[in-house]
Amino acid sequence: MSSTAAISITDLHKTFGSNEVLKGVSLLAHPGDVVSILGSSGSGKSTLLRCINLLEIPTSGNISINGEPLKLEKNRYGDLQPVEPKQITKIRSKLSMVFQSFNLWSHMTIIENIIEAPIHVLKKNKAQAIEEAMKLLNKVGIAEKAHCYPGELSGGQQQRVAIARALAMEPDALLFDEPTSALDPELVNEVLQVMRQLANEGRTMIVVTHEMGFAREVSDQVIFLHEGKIEEQGTPDKVFDNPDSERFKQFLSSGL
Amino acid sequence: MFEYLSYGDSGFGDELLAGSLLTIELALVSLVVGIFLGLLTAAAKLSKNRFYKAIAHLYTEVVRGIPEMLVVLVVFFGTSVLIQTIAEWFDYSDYIEVNAFVAGVFALGMVFGAFSSEVFRGAFLAVPKGQLEAATACGMSHWQVFHRIRLPQMWRFAIPGLGNLWMVLLKDTSLISIIALDELLRWSKVAAETTKQPFTFYIAAACIYLVLTIFSDVIRNYFETKANRGIAPHA
Ligand SMILES: Nc1ncnc2c1ncn2[C@@H]1O[C@H](COP(=O)(O)OP(=O)(O)OP(=O)(O)O)[C@@H](O)[C@H]1O
Ligand SMILES: [Mg+2]
Repeated sequence: MSSTAAISITDLHKTFGSNEVLKGVSLLAHPGDVVSILGSSGSGKSTLLRCINLLEIPTSGNISINGEPLKLEKNRYGDLQPVEPKQITKIRSKLSMVFQSFNLWSHMTIIENIIEAPIHVLKKNKAQAIEEAMKLLNKVGIAEKAHCYPGELSGGQQQRVAIARALAMEPDALLFDEPTSALDPELVNEVLQVMRQLANEGRTMIVVTHEMGFAREVSDQVIFLHEGKIEEQGTPDKVFDNPDSERFKQFLSSGL
Repeated sequence: MFEYLSYGDSGFGDELLAGSLLTIELALVSLVVGIFLGLLTAAAKLSKNRFYKAIAHLYTEVVRGIPEMLVVLVVFFGTSVLIQTIAEWFDYSDYIEVNAFVAGVFALGMVFGAFSSEVFRGAFLAVPKGQLEAATACGMSHWQVFHRIRLPQMWRFAIPGLGNLWMVLLKDTSLISIIALDELLRWSKVAAETTKQPFTFYIAAACIYLVLTIFSDVIRNYFETKANRGIAPHA
């Protein structure tokens, strides 16, 4: 526990109106950790991920990225808001997100999608951004499509581009929200393969997934979320072979 | 009948040409003003600020509810009263003539702005939210998300609607003849009355308007294809 946590979350709450979606979630990921988050639909998995990179501002709780605590203060309505809005964009640029529905920018080619944020957020020069982008496209096995538009690619290819786009930000951690759920079954593997490779490289990853085999194989830590609370948590072996929670056992046996 | 349309002193060909050019000029300048007003109004309608919202809706409702012809007259005489009043504050009492072209642009731009604000509002909302979120998640600022992702994609939803409004605008320029701007319809009327050949000249004017709208369609198609690049290549 000596190294600084890549992501540290304590007692996170998030309420939408009167609906408390997260009811005190804590999570610790060290650099290089892969944390899988499991849970049935509506359990708050996406909300948790979205709170981590501040697409949603938590109702209460603490978030630290690389030891830097996010500074939040209560506004006059009693909701939390960032003390320095700049800190939010900075944190977001260090945590890349990969979405279930890819969300590539459809008016830009693949290569333009990848260099967009490095140029406009990280202020890299274009030539360097393109060179790095091509390396990443090679890595995800899709370099020959660099000048195509997202609409011309299969779902699996689009998701691999989205991963390359995430990597182009040179993030401290990657956040995946069900990256394979929108894919045809035969395309799931090509995306998991890329993610496996990233895990082996020692990247810090938080992965919301329904792929049990994948979660078991690559995770350092598995978290089962139920109705906004952590029901089960531990190493994959412990969690899958010896779960404490009845609900998690049911969840496993139900196949999803 | 063609001698009436000839170019030079004997016919009205050169006048009709000058009128057509002024019509095009009027329509284009009004388009620019109208798009600017439309974007601004759409932004106000989409903003969280209640005051901006109210102003934007009021403007749209009022302009849409009044016949275009009346908007033209109100703007023309309204500005002239306004300018005269302001001039008098500065002890300037000579008659100041309002430039008919400027008044025309203002009136047509206001009408275009009101109608296009709805087109723009819909188009902004049609840009997939997930793509905006992906941009936000990369650390882009509000402004970057707007002008790098939302604005360029908005056009593909807006252009079909704007194309229609442009056709209306092009024809509405003829309303400006009532404030004595020498655009196409006014010259046609003058020519028709002078030569006692109304049919010839009104048909000629109709043909010119038709050519302009057909040509506009070609241009709209070009922009539509451009805005749709990568999305619907053959749409
Ligand atoms: N922006 C929002 N406004 C209001 N309610 C929301 C919002 N986002 C999520 N919720 C609610 O929060 C709850 C949890 O949603 P969330 O998307 O986090 O679930 P999930 O675990 O990711 O589910 P799934 O597996 O279907 O993606 C749901 O009841 C949802 O309706
Ligand atoms: Mg979800």
